[in-house]
Amino acid sequence: MYDLAKRRLKANFKQSLRYLSLVFNDFFVLALIFMLGALMFWYAQALKTMPVGQNLYKPLLAVLLWLPFLAGHFVTLFEPADEHFLLTQDRQLQSYLTPLFAYSMLLPTILLIAMGGILAPFALLKVQLPVVRYIGLLASIWILKIFQLSLQNKLLYFGWHCPLWVYNLLALATIILFTYNYALGISCFTVVLLLGVLGSRTVFNWSLVIETESKRKEGVYAFYSLFTDVDEKQIVIKRRKWLDFLLPKRLGWETPQSFLYRRTLLRNPEYLNLLVRMTAFAWLVSWLVQDYRWALGLSALVLILTLYQLRSLEHVFDYHLMYRVMPIDSAWQRRSLIRVLSLTLELQAVVIIIGWAIVLPKQTMLFLYMIFLLAITVFLVRIYLPLSLGGKHETQK
Amino acid sequence: MSLKIEQLTGGYAGVPVIHDLNLTIEPGEAVGLIGLNGAGKSTTIKHILGLLRPQKGKIVLDGKELAANPTAFKQKVAYIPELPILYRELTLKEHLEMTMLAYGLDPKETWPRAEELLKMFRLDNKLDWLPIHFSKGMQQKVMIVTAFLPATELLVVDEPFTGLDPLAVANLLKLIKQAKDDGRMVLMTTHVLADAQQVVSSYAVLNNGTIETTGSLEEIREHYGLQPADSVDKLYEVLSKEQANV
Repeated sequence: MYDLAKRRLKANFKQSLRYLSLVFNDFFVLALIFMLGALMFWYAQALKTMPVGQNLYKPLLAVLLWLPFLAGHFVTLFEPADEHFLLTQDRQLQSYLTPLFAYSMLLPTILLIAMGGILAPFALLKVQLPVVRYIGLLASIWILKIFQLSLQNKLLYFGWHCPLWVYNLLALATIILFTYNYALGISCFTVVLLLGVLGSRTVFNWSLVIETESKRKEGVYAFYSLFTDVDEKQIVIKRRKWLDFLLPKRLGWETPQSFLYRRTLLRNPEYLNLLVRMTAFAWLVSWLVQDYRWALGLSALVLILTLYQLRSLEHVFDYHLMYRVMPIDSAWQRRSLIRVLSLTLELQAVVIIIGWAIVLPKQTMLFLYMIFLLAITVFLVRIYLPLSLGGKHETQK
Repeated sequence: MSLKIEQLTGGYAGVPVIHDLNLTIEPGEAVGLIGLNGAGKSTTIKHILGLLRPQKGKIVLDGKELAANPTAFKQKVAYIPELPILYRELTLKEHLEMTMLAYGLDPKETWPRAEELLKMFRLDNKLDWLPIHFSKGMQQKVMIVTAFLPATELLVVDEPFTGLDPLAVANLLKLIKQAKDDGRMVLMTTHVLADAQQVVSSYAVLNNGTIETTGSLEEIREHYGLQPADSVDKLYEVLSKEQANV
C-alpha cells in the first residue's frame, strides 16, 4: 500500500508539474512579478503612514494568518475503482495514507511561510508583537494544521470526530488569543489539539472518501482550467431553464445541428463561461482605458477571440455515437454553426455596448463607436466566418 | 424491402473481425444475432449503422446501399444501444425533438406517439429533466422511446434487456412484436434467450467472425447436436469448445 501511495504521488506530482508549467508561463510570471511588486510597494507605503497598536490589528493579523491554515485539504489520491479493488485493505490504509499526509502539509507550509514573511513587518512594527512570540505563533499555526490534517484523516472513517468547522473556528480563536496573551493562547492551543486527537476510527468510509477526493481534484482542475485546457476536468452540465428564452420557440426553425449547438452554448459551462468571461473582460478593459477608440479596438479583439474559440463547437458532436447513427446531413453543419455563432456574437456585442453605456463617458461620439462595434461584429460573423469556414471541406459523417 | 448483408468482411484498423458474413432479414421478421462475447456481434452492428467501413461486401436496405447513400440508409434505421448514449445538454423533451428533426418527422403528428411511449415507460412527468441525471434503467428507456418514435424499416437492438425492470422488458417486447406486425425488420443481439424467444422468429449464430447457421431455435439446437433435455444455454458451451479448437 505504501508503494501504491508513492506511485500515485509520483504520477500526481508529474501531472501537477505539467499543468503548473502551463499556468506559470513567462507572461503570467511577468504579470505576477508586476502585480506583487505593486502590492509590496503599496504595503511599504501604507506601513509608513499606519499608526501603531490599533485595536483592530491583532484580530486582523490573526485572520490573515488563519487563511493559510485553511488552505490545503488532505490529499488521498483515491480513485473510484479503489472502492472495489481496495475494499479489503482497510487495515493497511494507514501505511497508504502516511506519505500522503506529509504531501498534504506541503502547500499549507509554503503558504504559511509566505504569509508569515509578508506580515512580519506589520506584526513586529505595527502590532508590536515580540519576535519570539511571532515565531511561536507561526509555529503554533503549523502544528494546528498538522492536527487538522490528522482530524481530516480520521474523518475518512465512520465514527465520532470533532466536526472540521468547529476545529477551524477554535483554531482561529487560538490564533487571536495568542496575539493577546501567551498563556491563554497555549491553553486554548492544548484544547484544540486534543479535539484533533480525540475521536474513534471504525470502518473506512469509502463513498465519502472518493467523493471528497473527487471534489478536491475538481477544485484543482478548475484552477488550472482558468489558464489552460484540462483534459481531466469533468464538465457538469446544468439545465439553466432561465436561459430558455434565448432558444427559438418553433422546432421548424432549427436544424439538428443548430438545435444541439444552441443548447451546448447555454448549458455546457465550457462555452457559457467563456462567453461570460470574455464579455466581462471587454467591459473591464473598456472601463480601464476610458477611451472610445481603445475600447472599440479591445472589444473587437475580444469578439474575434470569442469567435475563434467558439468555432470548436462545430466538431463537438463528431464523436457522439448517436449523432453519427442518426440521419443527420453533414451539409447542414457549417450553415448551422454560422447561424448560431452569428446570433451569439451579435448578442455579445449588444451586451458589450450596454456595458459601454455604463462605464464610458457619455458623449455623442459614444453612439458612433457603438455603431462601429456592431458593424465589425456583423462583418465578422456574416462575411469573415462563412468565408473562413467555406474554404475547408465539409465534415464527413 | 429487406436488409441484405452480402459477403461482409470488416473490423478495426485493417484487422478483420467478421469474415464473409451473409445475412438477410425480410419484412416482419425479427432475427436474433447470438454468439459468445467477442464473436463479432457488436462489430456487425457497427457496420450496419455505418460506424465502420467494410473491407469487403455490401449492406443494402430497401434497395439503398449504405456506402453509396449513408443518410438515406440511416433514415431507415433506428438503434437501441446496449448502454444509453445521451446528449448531455438535452432534456428528455429535447431528445424527442432532436429525433423528430433528424428523421424529418412532423412534430404535430409525432407528439401523440411520443406521449404514448412516454406513458408506457413512465417518463411522461420527466420531460423537462436532463436524462444524464436519470438512473441507468431510465436512461435506457429514453433510448427505447426515441428509437420507436420514427417508424423506421429496420430496428437494431443491442442487448436490450440490460438494466431494465420486468415491466419495461415486457413493454419493449410488446413494441418489438408490434413493429414486426407492422412489417418492420428487427435485428437483436442478446444473451437472454428466454426473453428473446417471445419475439424472435429466427436466429443467426455468429462464431469466429462468421455466421455458422441460421434458423429457428429448434433448427439451431439440431445443428449443434443439443439433446431435447439440454438447456438452450448449452449452445454457448458448444460454441466455446468450437472457438477453442480454432
